Amino acid sequence: MLVQMNRHIATLIVAALIVSAAGCGESLNSSFVYSEQTESLMREAQKGFPAEGEVKALLGARQLIDERFGDPQSLKAWSKLPVDFGGVTGRVVETPDSSIAIKELILEFDTDVVVEEGTPLSIQFVTGSAAKGAGGPTVVEIESWSAEKGKASLSAAMSPEAAPVAGDVVVLDGGGVLQHGRGLYMRHCSHCHGTSGDGNGPTAQYLVPRPRDYRQGVFKFTSTNDQAKISRDDLHRVLKNGIPGTYMPSFVPMLNEDDKHAVVEYVRFLAMRGEFEKKIGVELSPDFSKAAVTARIEGGESTDEIVESLREFLAEDMADSLEFVSDDLASAWTTADTEDAVIIPDISRVPDTPESRRLGRELYLSKGINCADCHGIAGKGDGPQTTIFEKNPVTQQLYDTPGLHDVWDNVNQPRNLTRGIYRGGRRPIDLFRRIHAGIKGSRMPSFKIVPHEQIWHIVNYVLSIPFEVEPGHAPVVNASAEATPQASL
Amino acid sequence: MKKFWALFFFFWPVVAIWSCWVAPARGWWFPTEAMSPLGERIDGLFYLILGIVTVVFIGTQFALGYVLWQSAVKGDDEKAEFSHGSHSLELIWTVVPSFVLVFIALYQMDVWAEFRVQSFYPNQTQEDGPRLELTARQFEWRVRYPEPGTELKNQPQPGDLYAVNEMHVATGRPVKFNLRTDDVQHAFFAPELRVKQDAVAGLIIPVWFEIPKAGDYDVVCAELCGWGHYKMRATIVAEPQRQVDEYLSNLQSEQNFDGVVTVDDEDE
Repeated sequence: MLVQMNRHIATLIVAALIVSAAGCGESLNSSFVYSEQTESLMREAQKGFPAEGEVKALLGARQLIDERFGDPQSLKAWSKLPVDFGGVTGRVVETPDSSIAIKELILEFDTDVVVEEGTPLSIQFVTGSAAKGAGGPTVVEIESWSAEKGKASLSAAMSPEAAPVAGDVVVLDGGGVLQHGRGLYMRHCSHCHGTSGDGNGPTAQYLVPRPRDYRQGVFKFTSTNDQAKISRDDLHRVLKNGIPGTYMPSFVPMLNEDDKHAVVEYVRFLAMRGEFEKKIGVELSPDFSKAAVTARIEGGESTDEIVESLREFLAEDMADSLEFVSDDLASAWTTADTEDAVIIPDISRVPDTPESRRLGRELYLSKGINCADCHGIAGKGDGPQTTIFEKNPVTQQLYDTPGLHDVWDNVNQPRNLTRGIYRGGRRPIDLFRRIHAGIKGSRMPSFKIVPHEQIWHIVNYVLSIPFEVEPGHAPVVNASAEATPQASL
Repeated sequence: MKKFWALFFFFWPVVAIWSCWVAPARGWWFPTEAMSPLGERIDGLFYLILGIVTVVFIGTQFALGYVLWQSAVKGDDEKAEFSHGSHSLELIWTVVPSFVLVFIALYQMDVWAEFRVQSFYPNQTQEDGPRLELTARQFEWRVRYPEPGTELKNQPQPGDLYAVNEMHVATGRPVKFNLRTDDVQHAFFAPELRVKQDAVAGLIIPVWFEIPKAGDYDVVCAELCGWGHYKMRATIVAEPQRQVDEYLSNLQSEQNFDGVVTVDDEDE
């Protein structure tokens, strides 16, 4: 009897161990998925050509992306990108025992390194022979660090062949921010926005509007001008305030300032990865997509000729294209964080008077600006444009559903302005910027040519819409103390 | 063997009592100090009931242990007694607990009324009216304050001020607010204040609390509301009325910000 019971208990314990090992371990691997565009390329364009004898390997689209961005388990910090990957840059000043195995290094860093007792530290070599070790730059663990002398004792000795010399650049705790951001992103964001930032996580299918797909590098609600990317400040604002009217919640107080910074950098990293992938695809797909190859074969070319032309393209033209693409990417994302990119009105907000609102409504209905065409005469987001059938600008085919479509091919409902919910923020400046820059990726165009005074009139009118008795008839101004007509819920 | 089993089954209640007894001191689990006067009274009820059930638990476990042991030490030839029950014993174990339960039911009534029944809310809350509206939403808490100097209306008003996941309230006075939900059922739970109230679709539920000591207090959602339930955290910032006013006036100028910073503003 007792023996039998023991066996039961043993089975239970084993079962519990299996469950805990499978369910709670950190062993779940995740990977970035490639975009449909990349998947539509011919096999060789995706995977490149391996090295054969003297001929060097040619990288295909997938490798070009992975080489620069890695995968979620081993992220890569491509220093060209304006992303704060984390880490403090420094240099080797001296290697005290360079003749034998290296156990100690004297380092100096650009900024003061404050190390809490017990935190594991590692340095990575960026230049010098240690940076060219087999399998990429050498990473060494630091056992103890004396800030006064700049002396780092290494946990394991470095072999003399890969010995660093004075002047070699090192990074302390490299990629720390990105790793921190990855952890938080996977926990809090990926179930909607997806591991790759494709807006296609497991919960995404239940949400309207769909979670943002970052891979075009386009974000809707920004403070920057119509041509610019989203700035770091804007992303911080979204994390802090959420996006009312959508499923994007506020992440304060759950994330502190450091956490938010890390998440913002990781999201920017994912956006840049997606954009880079897209641009590589744009370079390759006109001639080397599966569809293009089929057309070329029909046109009389042989498969061998096409493969040969791809080989030629990758060997000769790709380097220039890559440089162009990456320069473009880096400069666009850098510009977004400059002061010049931010929209500042020429004049202060026009006083919110009945006259200003009346002028605003006139502009709202006017031929030139014509907000009513999409947002409707009463501002209910039901203008005539919402019933038309649009053409997909990429495929030139009509969409199945009527209404305006955004660059993510979702139906883009013009905002119902009577509800008083403003996704990009409810401050007058937010509405001003929405009108000035438009909503990026959506069919809300930029009205930057409209004089700023007129934009303010429109802002004043739009802010009064939820409280209108009937379209165009605002309630008595400054009547907050008196009975005010009620907005419908 | 019989003695072993008697001791074995008596051992576990002893372990249970011991672990409960040392739990507060070892920080295993126990409510920390309540940060509101009503919370202290709710804790009073908690400790009263804890005391009653402790006495009952120890009493019944010892009685069980005694019976087990008695049977264990009985000789094998002794036969079991068969009883048709005792009328007076049954009366006692029915009447005594019912008296205890009726006592608890009556004793807690004023605390419960003050907590939940609007007409028993502190007079101050009736005079002040609700200070803000808290709307639960998957998965955040949206706050709407009336324009400073005006009263909160159930419908949004032009001068209303908005915030998210952060509610500023005055210390040292009862504060009432309206609780609503935008979507599914949520529950407002401020553990340190011992306030828990469901937010029900279609209802505007007035909730009140009083915080004597300035500081930050947690708010969590206490009704499983979806996959992001764990994300629904907010902060109650309790501070003197003057600072609340200051916060609201900052919020007001932030909300009216038109992006143009004049030189005068910078000098200030």
